[in-house]
Amino acid sequence: MAWIAERRRRSRFESVVLPHLDAGYALARWLTRNDADAADVVQEAVLRAYRYFDTYREGDAKSWLLRIVRRTSYSWLERNRPADVVPLDAEAGHEEGGTGALLAAGNTEALLQSRSDLRRLDVLVEALPAPLREVIVLRELHELGYREIAEVTGVPIGTVMSRLHRARSALRRAWLGKDTDDAV
Amino acid sequence: MMRCDEVRPHLDAYIDGELAEVERTLLRDHLAGCPECGPEAAALERLRNDIRLSAPIYRAPEALRSRIRFALRAEGAASAPAARAAPGWLAYAASILVAVAVGSGGTLLVTGERQEDTIAGELIDSHLRSLLASHLTDVASSDQHTVKPWFAGRSDVAPPAVDLAGEGFPLVGGRLDVIGGKPVPALVYRRREHVINVFVLPASRVDLGFTLSRHGYSLRHWNEGDLGFWAASDAAPSELAEFERVFRAATSG
Repeated sequence: MAWIAERRRRSRFESVVLPHLDAGYALARWLTRNDADAADVVQEAVLRAYRYFDTYREGDAKSWLLRIVRRTSYSWLERNRPADVVPLDAEAGHEEGGTGALLAAGNTEALLQSRSDLRRLDVLVEALPAPLREVIVLRELHELGYREIAEVTGVPIGTVMSRLHRARSALRRAWLGKDTDDAV
Repeated sequence: MMRCDEVRPHLDAYIDGELAEVERTLLRDHLAGCPECGPEAAALERLRNDIRLSAPIYRAPEALRSRIRFALRAEGAASAPAARAAPGWLAYAASILVAVAVGSGGTLLVTGERQEDTIAGELIDSHLRSLLASHLTDVASSDQHTVKPWFAGRSDVAPPAVDLAGEGFPLVGGRLDVIGGKPVPALVYRRREHVINVFVLPASRVDLGFTLSRHGYSLRHWNEGDLGFWAASDAAPSELAEFERVFRAATSG
């Protein structure tokens, strides 16, 4: 009967994907910056993952789920809080170090410095533009490697590296209050 | 020995453990002796530690887990070939009812009651919807004197809202669903992380007195006076039986 096959599929999905629900939730929470929104996003993402489960091949289930959670977070933000996804748009189409990247780095600085309530490092991380925030979260908190981060975010490893560098430079300047950076 | 300007672009990759063995060794040697690059690498490491120490640890809430489990069931039903052409949950629930009846060797007589089939299907549908739509309650209160009057004038039946927190089933609130074109009151209880929806309808012609249990959710029915109660939940069937016991004890006394 169909529902037996369906149940088998579901229990396989649950055993492969649900162990990474905390990781998925954490990413959505960092991207949406809100508990209720993160829960909505994760639910939507898991259902989406379930629909595409047939396309999942044995491999890294965590990265697979994170990629879907990330994509769902962004489309949720675009629908509900478009301002949250704007800052690094200038980067699109530019090679690393291009005008867009410089602009974005400038925005980040201004953004972090314009807030007087940023006394805590986690609040600073939360204030980063989403594309910089996500690489920090994936690297430092999810402890993913560059290749995995590239896989989750869908950008080349070079971009992961430059974003990570930019995010750290911005955080250090805002956090330690000293200008130690070189490249940007 | 590497020069500083050769080292700097690789510092992030170095502390991230992304360099190949040869490069890593070269950088390590440089960092050990360089008064500029050494502290720079240490500052990056410190930033990482500070981030890890300051960042809250986010975990998926239990309520989200149960919501997702329910949603997956609903999803599975929608995509199952047998149910694809039918109006979603109704047909799915009905097919489960049939399966239960067949699977248990005829001890359940529910399939003979077409009308009850439909009601059961719609109730499960309602139960799942209440979990999926972040719309669990219209009136959120554990106070029976708030919940009970809320239904007055909104539905034909006046559900006996009692808080059963002392028995492990706290009252969360009430909700009005539309089932079979009519407003039907639902009392919402919790059992640990599980939600129990108790739909209150006019008493059925027959007291079905059974628990359906398939795919992790249960539906339990009983009549009390001129009211019929349908409790739907993903709590264990034994817990629903326990719920019926304490609910009846509290409402009939």
